[in-house]
Amino acid sequence: MIKVDVKNLVKNYGSNHVLKNVDFQVQKNEVVVIIGPSGSGKSTLLRTLNKLEEPTSGSVVIDGKDIADPKTDINKVRENIGMVFQHFNLFNNLSVGDNIMLAPVELKKENKAEAVKQAQELLKIVNLSQKFDAKVQSLSGGQKQRIAIARALAMNPDIMLFDEPTSALDPEMVGDVLQVMKRLAKDGMTMVVVTHEMGFAREVADRVVFVDEGKILESGTPEDIFEHPKNPRLQSFLEKVL
Amino acid sequence: MKKLKVFFNAMVIALFALLIGAGFSTQTAHAEKTYQIGTDVTFPPFEFANNQNKYVGIDIDLMKAIAKDQGFKVNIKPIGFNAAVQATQSGQIDGVIAGMNITPERAQTFDFSKPYYKSGVVMAVKQGGSVKDLNQLRGKKVAVKTGTSGAAYANSIKNKYGFKVVTFDDSSNMYQDVLTGNSAACFEDEPVMKYSIKQGTKLAIVTKPADSGSYGFAVDKGKNKVLLAKFNKGLANLQKNGEYKKIVDHYLESKGTNAGSSDHTFWGILKQNKGFLWNGFLQTLWLSIVSIFFATLFGVIVGLLGVLPYKFFQGLSSTIIYIFRGLPLLVLALFIYTGIPTLTGTKIPAFIAGVVTLMFNEGAYIAAFVRGGINSVDSGQMEAARSLGLPFSKSMFKVILPQGIKLIIPSFINQFIITLKDTSILSIIGILELTQTGKIIIARNLEGFKVWTIVALIYLIVITLLTWLSKWGERRTRL
Ligand SMILES: Nc1ncnc2c1ncn2[C@@H]1O[C@H](COP(=O)(O)OP(=O)(O)OP(=O)(O)O)[C@@H](O)[C@H]1O
Ligand SMILES: [Mg+2]
Repeated sequence: MIKVDVKNLVKNYGSNHVLKNVDFQVQKNEVVVIIGPSGSGKSTLLRTLNKLEEPTSGSVVIDGKDIADPKTDINKVRENIGMVFQHFNLFNNLSVGDNIMLAPVELKKENKAEAVKQAQELLKIVNLSQKFDAKVQSLSGGQKQRIAIARALAMNPDIMLFDEPTSALDPEMVGDVLQVMKRLAKDGMTMVVVTHEMGFAREVADRVVFVDEGKILESGTPEDIFEHPKNPRLQSFLEKVL
Repeated sequence: MKKLKVFFNAMVIALFALLIGAGFSTQTAHAEKTYQIGTDVTFPPFEFANNQNKYVGIDIDLMKAIAKDQGFKVNIKPIGFNAAVQATQSGQIDGVIAGMNITPERAQTFDFSKPYYKSGVVMAVKQGGSVKDLNQLRGKKVAVKTGTSGAAYANSIKNKYGFKVVTFDDSSNMYQDVLTGNSAACFEDEPVMKYSIKQGTKLAIVTKPADSGSYGFAVDKGKNKVLLAKFNKGLANLQKNGEYKKIVDHYLESKGTNAGSSDHTFWGILKQNKGFLWNGFLQTLWLSIVSIFFATLFGVIVGLLGVLPYKFFQGLSSTIIYIFRGLPLLVLALFIYTGIPTLTGTKIPAFIAGVVTLMFNEGAYIAAFVRGGINSVDSGQMEAARSLGLPFSKSMFKVILPQGIKLIIPSFINQFIITLKDTSILSIIGILELTQTGKIIIARNLEGFKVWTIVALIYLIVITLLTWLSKWGERRTRL
């Protein structure tokens, strides 16, 4: 079953052509890792999947709904897509628990008591049970990112998007976050992950996609990409990062 | 809806009853031969409120003395020069005595009495100074008060004598400029100047009155001939028996009996004017509170328009901020108070014009920092909220605004203090707030420095209180 279906996607910022006719699909339960050099358009591609960026042209269909169509209720679609940002973007005015509970309560998915219970369960999953009442400002980067993941899971999404979730972290904290992500993958979450963590890609990805200059140049299993890269640009990219 | 209509009708009826009643009472007044005489609000030494806030002055004392001499009663109403003139023409009052110059133009619509006072512009210099006549003014500066005949006279001779004219808004600043030596002399109507010197201003008159005109008592043309005849007869009697000179000297001559009778120390001024100052203070406070309320409302709305994701509203917000931040407060106040009625034909009460002025001006500043504060919240916060499926408005109210407001609370406190201070500018449209109160007290006792010190201290006290209150509020919101 196709969860994400992108066709002929073009994104321009003025005269800057960031995405050039991209076709991209994600199957249910699939974990797709996007790699590529800086400025190649990885984040832009990811952000068009929940319409944080509006496509210039082309279609983005999520669970059968075309989100480029103005008639589609984008808020409903977004409830099913969790997103994790490089810089966490936890709500600074709310406690850890309230960060997680804001959307479920405000969008009437759960009453307060159910939300508290679910938030505590999510905190257990990300190994931060004791942080329910903590202030966001008191957390370390690794803790913040795990809370951000818990927050994104609170609406019970069936797709998760990650945009370089570990690149703003100190090295010793990267492991904790990756561990949570691995567990999600194992539980069958559909995931699209932009990352520079090649180890994670090799171990967890079902498919790796190489993006350069706004185009998908190569796509395949981790083994295809890392052991038998065909495109010369991919080869030189891997030489640099591995 | 129906209730409102009933209420409205009742109001109209009540208003009519009031008007009829008022007309009735003036008629009974006529029957008792009490004449209604209009005069100006402040024009010392001819009419002004004294220390007990009772109206006195040459015009008033003279009118009363003539009434006594001729055996009729007067009721003197200080309603302002223009209002008095119009009320005389429309027959609401019987005559006007307000230092009114007899001119051929006015004589077409009014019948004037015999001139009761000859006035003219004099030159005054620092007591004991070296400047003694017009020829010594070459290359020097001369102080005048805007709109006076002294200013007109100075401008008419400045080329001939080669001096430069410096214009001031009120008399006490003009005198001060001569006393400090910035200006070599000032020009002012003789009685006004004499009265100031009597009040203790250390100036001396060194020229004869020039360009003299005469003041007369006026009634509507062709009406009240009896009253006019009595006035002329009474005036002649008083001039003969010396009472006229006594009245004039009382206000103008340094050796007059009134000198020093009022206490001109800080405490004296404060004590004599405490009720007046208190009312001015209350008016300032009330004006500030109402203005801050509306400015905040207006500012927050315009500021929020500026962060909506629509180009039209952003542009609207920017335009409003640009216009009202760009206009000087004084110009805006005068435009709203005098300009709008000219355009629409409906008069606005000064208080409302003042509130509207501050609402626009201070509101524009508030809008600018509300918009800026919200925009300075990291854009990632909005993205995270939206990515969860929260609509724009919920994201704004639950995530962005709480953070933005925290950033702008200090700006709010600052703006409240500025608003309070800016109410003083509204004295220009005649609102009787603290600054205007100060101006009026000075018009009467000419103690500019002391009165402004008192006024400044009152402002400081209020601002200190407001600052404490705001800090307290700020601490509360932080919890
Ligand atoms: N809001 C924007 N306005 C204008 N240009 C943008 C905007 N966002 C991204 N770009 C441009 O689009 C191009 C692709 O950016 P993108 O963030 O998608 O790259 P990336 O592959 O995620 O890079 P990185 O690895 O550094 O995150 C860059 O040239 C960037 O400057
Ligand atoms: Mg990126």
